[in-house]
Amino acid sequence: MTSTTATGADTLLDRLDAVWAELEERLDQVPILNRLAEGSVTIEDYRRLLFNLRQQVVDGSAWISRAASSFDIDHFELRSAAIHHADEEHRDYLMLERDYVAIGGELDELRAGRKNVGSEALSAYLFQYADRPNPAGLLGAMFIIEGLGAKRAAGWASRFQEVLGLADNQVQFMRYHEQADTQHTGDMDAILTSGLIDGDSADEIVRCAQVVARLYALQLEELDR
Amino acid sequence: MAVTAQAYLTGFGRYLPGDPVDNDGIAARLGGDDRVTERIRRQVLAANGIRQRHYALDEHGEPTELNEELAVKALTAALEDRGIDAADLRMLACATTMGDVLVPGFASMVHGRLGGGPMQLLTASGVCASSLAALDAVVSKIRLGDHPRAAVVASELPSRSLRQRRYDGIRAGMDAHFLRWMLSDGAAAVIVEFQPHPTKLSLRVDWVRHVSLAHENPVCMRAGMSGDEAVVGGTWQDGGIADADAAGMFLLRQDVGMLDDLAQAGIRQFEELVDIGLIDVRHLDHVICHYSTNVFRDVAFDALRRRIPTLDTDRWFSNLETRGNTGSASIFIALEEAFHAGRFAPGETVLLAVPESGRFSFAFAHLTVIAPSDSQGASE
Repeated sequence: MTSTTATGADTLLDRLDAVWAELEERLDQVPILNRLAEGSVTIEDYRRLLFNLRQQVVDGSAWISRAASSFDIDHFELRSAAIHHADEEHRDYLMLERDYVAIGGELDELRAGRKNVGSEALSAYLFQYADRPNPAGLLGAMFIIEGLGAKRAAGWASRFQEVLGLADNQVQFMRYHEQADTQHTGDMDAILTSGLIDGDSADEIVRCAQVVARLYALQLEELDR
Repeated sequence: MAVTAQAYLTGFGRYLPGDPVDNDGIAARLGGDDRVTERIRRQVLAANGIRQRHYALDEHGEPTELNEELAVKALTAALEDRGIDAADLRMLACATTMGDVLVPGFASMVHGRLGGGPMQLLTASGVCASSLAALDAVVSKIRLGDHPRAAVVASELPSRSLRQRRYDGIRAGMDAHFLRWMLSDGAAAVIVEFQPHPTKLSLRVDWVRHVSLAHENPVCMRAGMSGDEAVVGGTWQDGGIADADAAGMFLLRQDVGMLDDLAQAGIRQFEELVDIGLIDVRHLDHVICHYSTNVFRDVAFDALRRRIPTLDTDRWFSNLETRGNTGSASIFIALEEAFHAGRFAPGETVLLAVPESGRFSFAFAHLTVIAPSDSQGASE
């Protein structure tokens, strides 16, 4: 029994890894990440990126806690995990805001900002998904979002520091996510391999991961639009 | 290991009150036209080499402005030079020997007059080297990434306390006259940022060093104390104000006999910076040194030349003779003039040196000229 569950979970992780690989290819085409890689990124690019991310990041703990309330008592473990995760995330945006101010941005302008078209789509998708009964598929969203934090954010932070000469104090949001999201992805891997996920849920998780991967990249492509 | 940002000087401004006053115009403002004073004045002026200076005094010797106004005008000029507003600043450090009032701090008064938004303040009080102490504090905060943009201003208005009414009935020897005919008013400011100027040259601050040798030296320059040692009962605050005034405590005095020691100590500090490798004499392009009189210009220049045989007068800059000795403001007044005169080219290095006689402090800053950020890297 345990062995078949383990095999099923491995398959799910393999399928998610394929989604991740596709996302990485797409990220390579994102203009701001291209400029970051080639070293032509400007301080204005970094400011815009923070500005655009912030408008969606403030929703992070909201959709996760909404998802928590959509899990019934038979999905107590997932509800518990979501509550815990929402609690950990809901102050993240403050770190991003401090970074924004530390590079010369105005807090009032940042807080008065609106989502770009990618963020609108991403946020709307996540909130409607969280309203569904037992939205286990959102583990796919977390796989993508936490994965970006754990695997990519610190690399972006270092590269921004290298190209623009930024202090640690100016890239705290991206730096923090390396540690925090590595912890979160570890927690999630445990859930994905725990036997809590049945075959239908696995399909939902993969599908949700695909949509979130595309919309996240869209958010990075559509800066300020 | 923690990563820090760089700090760049991106805007420069100065304010010198009124028209320049030549040596013949001093007495009209400061008084002291009796024959003895006249003779001392000529003697001091011949030694310090200052040909003109500025006073915030009208032709009758009445004050025209406050020290905080000089500071704000210099800051406004620096902000304009950079093309930003006071509201863009997150920190302001103000250096001065004496503000206009005893309380509150000088920086609070300057911020109040300047306006802008909420910001961190620092008042660096001291004498000449307080300018670089203020710069050091701001540069450190910029490098930490705590603030993106800040300003440093150094400002002095000693003239009002150099007027005759302060000297009437008080025994004032060379210790008081030396400074009376040397010091004048002025202010200068720099804008400090974590990014270079997008379209103009910037000066990256490589390091600032500030060392006090007060542990092994007595007071050299003083006001507010009866002798050169502070003792209970012997400062202006211990007794009556009128008594302190009568005792001459409100005159600014300098023990001129100690100045040779000061110059030698300053040279040793410079030598040490060369010895530990902070100053690479093969790559030092400009030297801006604050000194009170031309006598020390020659002492300092000769000392530098011992370590930098190729140093010529083109790489040495001072505007003491035309802008006067404005204490803490001098170093920034000189830097502003050198910068705007186009003396600097990308890649060159600049050493600022400020010996402070107060009680033997020495401050140095090393700068590198940086090309506009828009012309770097972005080659599409």
